[in-house]
Amino acid sequence: MNDSSSGFIIRKRILSFMIIGFTAIVIFQLFKMQMLDNYFYVEKSMENSVKKKLIPAPRGVFYDRNFNVIVSNKPAFSIEVLPSEYNVKQNTLIESVLNVRPGYISNILEANKRYSPHIPVKIRRNSDFAFMAWLNENKEMLEGIDYDIELQRDYSFGINGSHIFGYTKEISASQLRERRSIYNMGDYIGFSGIEKQYEEILRGNKGYSLTLVDSRQRTIGRYLEGKEDIPPSKGNDLILGLDADAQLMAEKLFEGKRGALVAVEPTTGEIIAFVSSPSFDLSKFASVTSSEYWDSLSSDMDKPIFNRATQSIYPPGSTFKMLSAIAALDAGVITEHTTINCPGGLQFGDRFFKCMHVHGRIGVVEAIKKSCNTFFYQLILKIGLEKWSDYGKQFGFGKRTGIDIQEESPGILPDSAYYDRVYGKGKWTKGFLVSLGIGQGELGASPLQLAKYTALIANNGKSYEPHFVRAYIDKYTSEIIPLSFNKIELDIKQKVFDLIQEGMFKAVNEPGGTAGNAKLDNIEVSGKTGTSQNPHGKNHALFVGYAPSKDPKIAIAVLVENVGFGNTHAAPIAREVIKAYLDKNEIKKDSFKEKVARAN
Amino acid sequence: MRIGAKLQDKLDLGLLLPSIFLIVFGLLAIYSSTINHPTAQGNFDRQFFWFFLSLAALLIAYFIPPHVYRIIAIPAYIFSLATLVLVLLMGKTVYGSKSWLGVGTLGMQPSEFAKIGVILFLSYWISRKQTDINSVKDLAIILGIGFLPIALIMMQPDTGTAIVFALLTLFMLFWGGISLFGLFVVLSPGVVMFASVFGTLPMFIALGLILLLLIYFKRDLFVSATVFVVNIAAAFFFDYLYHILQPHQQKRIETFLDPNADPLGAGYNALQAKVAIGSGGLVGKGFLEGNQTQLRFIPEQWTDFIYCVVGEEFGFIGSVIVIILFLLIFTRLLKLASVARDHFSSLVVMGVLVLLFIHFAINIGMNVGVTPVIGLPLPFLSYGGSSLIANMTLIGIALNIHKNRKRYD
Repeated sequence: MNDSSSGFIIRKRILSFMIIGFTAIVIFQLFKMQMLDNYFYVEKSMENSVKKKLIPAPRGVFYDRNFNVIVSNKPAFSIEVLPSEYNVKQNTLIESVLNVRPGYISNILEANKRYSPHIPVKIRRNSDFAFMAWLNENKEMLEGIDYDIELQRDYSFGINGSHIFGYTKEISASQLRERRSIYNMGDYIGFSGIEKQYEEILRGNKGYSLTLVDSRQRTIGRYLEGKEDIPPSKGNDLILGLDADAQLMAEKLFEGKRGALVAVEPTTGEIIAFVSSPSFDLSKFASVTSSEYWDSLSSDMDKPIFNRATQSIYPPGSTFKMLSAIAALDAGVITEHTTINCPGGLQFGDRFFKCMHVHGRIGVVEAIKKSCNTFFYQLILKIGLEKWSDYGKQFGFGKRTGIDIQEESPGILPDSAYYDRVYGKGKWTKGFLVSLGIGQGELGASPLQLAKYTALIANNGKSYEPHFVRAYIDKYTSEIIPLSFNKIELDIKQKVFDLIQEGMFKAVNEPGGTAGNAKLDNIEVSGKTGTSQNPHGKNHALFVGYAPSKDPKIAIAVLVENVGFGNTHAAPIAREVIKAYLDKNEIKKDSFKEKVARAN
Repeated sequence: MRIGAKLQDKLDLGLLLPSIFLIVFGLLAIYSSTINHPTAQGNFDRQFFWFFLSLAALLIAYFIPPHVYRIIAIPAYIFSLATLVLVLLMGKTVYGSKSWLGVGTLGMQPSEFAKIGVILFLSYWISRKQTDINSVKDLAIILGIGFLPIALIMMQPDTGTAIVFALLTLFMLFWGGISLFGLFVVLSPGVVMFASVFGTLPMFIALGLILLLLIYFKRDLFVSATVFVVNIAAAFFFDYLYHILQPHQQKRIETFLDPNADPLGAGYNALQAKVAIGSGGLVGKGFLEGNQTQLRFIPEQWTDFIYCVVGEEFGFIGSVIVIILFLLIFTRLLKLASVARDHFSSLVVMGVLVLLFIHFAINIGMNVGVTPVIGLPLPFLSYGGSSLIANMTLIGIALNIHKNRKRYD
């Protein structure tokens, strides 16, 4: 060696130190990564290779009161684009096959830009078969486009129910921000009607499947053969008070008419039939609603989206005479023996208020049966506005019923405060009240309110707030869990109800009654017609009634717009719906289990 | 026992066996990382074949008469340079480097074999009786021997291998007996350059330190001033160097300085490698069970990131075993370098040691995230015939030196 031995030893030591030092650093780093931080890296490596794919939960099914399925689910294909892999050059081609305007796909992608490019974006829901076939044939040459099977509402059970069921819609960005923990992009959420009101019960729990992906996020298999997957759990099914037969009949009878019908079970407040006409086609809302359809609905002069059963407020006409009678009888202003002379109308101040006939001296039962205006003109003058309005409130007029769907109008029930507000204190006279006695004037009630009022009359002042949903079926235990609704119990003498019911029975069933068109051969029907004066055109026809008279099972309110007399146009509809509900064959009632099995 | 001792005297099992164990480890890891791969499934078979070829090369190197190495030092070096030029003229580009020479499927990486030529020639030149390692002229010649292949390799360009050659030259100078001042002169520009990577302030601090050291060495003003000017030039040379780097290499330096800057780009491999190793835990996920490996999160894992497979599937225990095997080889070579019968042999062994250690340090360092990502194979483990055969040849030469350590002729 040329070098001095001491220098040589130092050099050797330096090298040893470098080698051992570096090795120590590496071993320390390995210890830190593999032993101390192991958990963190395991987590990271799982994230890398295991992808969670959410599986939407089927929404709960709707049953009618006899466990007939009325709304269910059906599978549908949706077309998805994976932004990270999608080639925008394909836009023109795909848009032309989808038959949409140019820019359709780029608009959707732009709207979803804030989300991860690894999350698929749905560009078409409920794709038709032709597109699916085209997609499958050309899959090799297309990048980042695929399909997914999802569930959609199935409305093919014959009932339209557009204003009852409402529809589901893809969740909006603002809703998503608020409810991040439960919902994901592209989820359907109840947007109106029962779907909205019972969203929490209906939506179910999403499941997920874990798939292994490679470094380019391509699926290469299932994670642990699916052992860790969680299947979605379906939402709870709802049992509605609707009766499919009555509902179908009601919808059929309203075809081509404008108006509404509400039928409730007096003892429970459950809605048996509910129609607002014209209606719209819910199945067109099942997937992405085409703007053409939406535009046609919004611009329709007949306002099909407007819920006439809960939102239209017309003067209730003669159907309101019972309220005046109840107020007078219960307050002791008149008795069953009190009679009033009807000379064919009432001269009040400088105005003459007409009656249809000259009824002579007439008592309360006869006045209801014959719908004598004079009797009720006089009556309200005797009762006074405050007391009359008080009874109106008890029956729920002038305020929302709280029915389990949104959009309801409270109606108008005037009291002195109302007149003071509208005309000024002391600037209105008793003459303003006269027409209120026969349900005309500044009075507005929805068909729903009238149905509730009729149910209370039929069941002697006891009922529940009207509602659609009776109960839900717990998805885990299959138990039927009833929902609770507000009970109504009016403090009105039974004798009063007896007299009113007698009058309504006679109106339908006795000669000279004004509601004879509601009469059925085998079922006793009680009722009262009405005609709501309409300054803009033909009068609206009204009918309220219930059946069977002795043991009421259905109370009904019918409104047909711009057709004329209630007995001619509204009473026959009520009659047919009552018949459909009460007069049915027992054979039709399948066992509950069979029906549930079919629905799922 | 006697036979064992006699065999050990002739054949250093302490060097040979760890090398073979490492190759076996490598074969397992290559098998694991390619078994599910669509295009790399043949790699295991090929590596297995090269293993035998490399054993043959080792035996040849082992049995060659020792003086032959001194004779072939110059031709081997010239041949190495020739192949490095040839690869630039007609080589195939692999991963951005024109480093592959071959016909059809048969081919080799000249830079791997050039290592042998450079080690032999550097050892030969430094150990020449006429050479004064501390004279400016001889120092320049030695640096020239080292930097000629570096220049050729930079033209491919293959920065990793170039760094290896630069460090190899420096360490051999160090082992060759360069004086402290000489070492300082050679190393200081590198230190300044490295410091300037981190910014202007570290650069000035480094320059200040060099000024202090120059005052400490008390050389004449002319020498001191020259060294200092060279250092200042080096400080600004970095900027130039940075710009001649390939964009992916610039990215790698930036990524090392801030690993989280670009987790899906240049930092991706480094990050995934750490995830693979870290998720291995104490005993690993088991052979063929590592999801990072099997799902191919790290591209070309069987080459530069082979150590991740070990870390993920064999855990801390497996990782440390590999390091211990390397450590055995290094200590063995270090001991051999100090007992070799002459300066030439000692330098050759040191060359082998330094070469293996630099590959080891840079490769493992990048796998566990303590050094930047520089594309270098891990000796014995990484897939690749040229590297394996070259490394086993070097081990064969070291074994040869061990066998002849007591001969004086």
